[in-house]
Amino acid sequence: MSTLAPRLERSVFVTPSFVIGLGVLAAWALVALAASYAAPYDPFATVSGARAAPSLDFPFGTDRLGRDVLSRVIFGARISLLLGFISVGIGVSVGATLGIVSGYYRGSIDTLIMRAIDAMLAFPGMLLALVIIAALGPSITHVMIAVGIATVPRYARLIRATVLSIREQAFVDAARLSGASDAKIMLRHILPNAVAPLLVLSTLQFGNAISVGAGLSFLGLGAQPPTAEWGLMAAVGRDVLGRAWWISTFPGLAIFTAVMACNLLGDSLSKSLDPRQSDR
Amino acid sequence: MLLRYIARRLAQLAPVLFLISIIVFSILHALPGDPVQLMLAGAESGSVTPERQAELRQMMGLDDPLYVQYFRFIGGAVTGDLGTSVRLRQPVSTLILDRLGSTLLLSLGGILVAVLLGLATGIVAALRQGSWVDTASMVLANIGVSVPLFWLGLVLILVFSFELGWFPPAGQQGLRSLVLPSLTLGLVSAGVISRLTRSSLAQVLVEDYMRTARAKGLPEHLIYIRHALRNALVPVLTIVGLQFGAMLSGAVVTETVFSRPGLGRLVVQAILWQDYPLVQGIVLFMATSYVFVNLVVDVSYAWLDPRIRDGERAA
Repeated sequence: MSTLAPRLERSVFVTPSFVIGLGVLAAWALVALAASYAAPYDPFATVSGARAAPSLDFPFGTDRLGRDVLSRVIFGARISLLLGFISVGIGVSVGATLGIVSGYYRGSIDTLIMRAIDAMLAFPGMLLALVIIAALGPSITHVMIAVGIATVPRYARLIRATVLSIREQAFVDAARLSGASDAKIMLRHILPNAVAPLLVLSTLQFGNAISVGAGLSFLGLGAQPPTAEWGLMAAVGRDVLGRAWWISTFPGLAIFTAVMACNLLGDSLSKSLDPRQSDR
Repeated sequence: MLLRYIARRLAQLAPVLFLISIIVFSILHALPGDPVQLMLAGAESGSVTPERQAELRQMMGLDDPLYVQYFRFIGGAVTGDLGTSVRLRQPVSTLILDRLGSTLLLSLGGILVAVLLGLATGIVAALRQGSWVDTASMVLANIGVSVPLFWLGLVLILVFSFELGWFPPAGQQGLRSLVLPSLTLGLVSAGVISRLTRSSLAQVLVEDYMRTARAKGLPEHLIYIRHALRNALVPVLTIVGLQFGAMLSGAVVTETVFSRPGLGRLVVQAILWQDYPLVQGIVLFMATSYVFVNLVVDVSYAWLDPRIRDGERAA
């Protein structure tokens, strides 16, 4: 942890992408937490005629059941942020464990884990998540799990590379000589050195999970009606796009801003934590 | 030796393909649905006796141990037999071949958009660093990687179909119907390619051989084409291969948005139908093609850059 702080101070807080990214994410987090107070209407109640255009009463219009789109977008933030947290949580915990074990012990266990990781990486994009949902059945909880598992390989590779680069260093030997157990060396001495790259990857993956999760819900494989979920709302609005553009547009805009915020934040973190990679 | 490199890569392919098939098979056999129940869903309840159900189950080999089922599946797969769709009652391989053309066309359209747009903006941005073009293409690239695919498609339909009436919002009649789906699919990858082209070209521009070329009096455009672009585009090539995977995966969403009957649409339907031979077949097919495309890309990369084929490539 101590290695992270001084490097973070350097320049990260002044870049516009860092400020915008963090600001937008914080705003969404606030909206999600205070959804019951922030939403002008009950997200599940019919509060007007069907497909009312945006107006002062209904800034984002209403959907085909006369539900307030703004209130539904506000409540949708809860699901999308939860999706981000859970899938990143799965990715980090499983991926980091596999990566650290693989890099620390090396040998046949490393080969075994890395072959499996390679095979998982051979599934393009969201295809692996798709197979997992096929097995578990469509639901938003299963989407969170599937997206989380699908990102395990990236974490495993990242952590393994970090472990390999530091396992031969003097402080690891010193810890071993002083009688520390393998588990303690991995947790106390090696893992803290992986925090910075882990933070960058997790920030980017948080946005990716929101985007992929909403996409799966859009396909009918995630959240089911009447849930107020961004991807599902966009899918329902697709059929009446020509007559009621607002039903799909505003949930989509919500996804876009949240994902963009994560990407801006992740990029600025990666630039200030790794100065070599200042371009890209 | 390029040939030896190809042989080595081919040898590495077999275990990866084996593991892919194991992963797909083992994940899907945790499926809650019973294919026999599903097949009989259309029949009147009670009209099919338990004996008949057992007979069907035995016919489909569902009573055999899992490893027997796996070897039957993989044995069929290598000969092109991927089983029969429970819902559509047709061979999975036939269904895949029927839909493949549509998805390939869409992917090619997407790659075309991605490469043209990505290269153009990336090159201009690198040559005019700090200019408004550079800033604009960086912003566009950032938007490109952040925008959800399905929403981009909906916005394009809204603007170019409903407002302007330039392109059809759905279907696949003629080239005009391919424009919006290709744009949808290609824009994300265009952003990725643009960023990589910019940084790769920016690095090359300050190399010594650029100064040498200029010093020996070559005209500017030749310097850029012969020396700068040729070297800068080699790393871009690998990312184009990876983007093909993005195309396959993106086709799943894009085909749904634009109601195109391709492989991506079919796999989503297969999941909703709990038609596991169909899901299994399509996913295996997609993952395998992705692996092969990346092999082709790696080989051409090695062909363009001899340093790779000679040394062991860190992968």
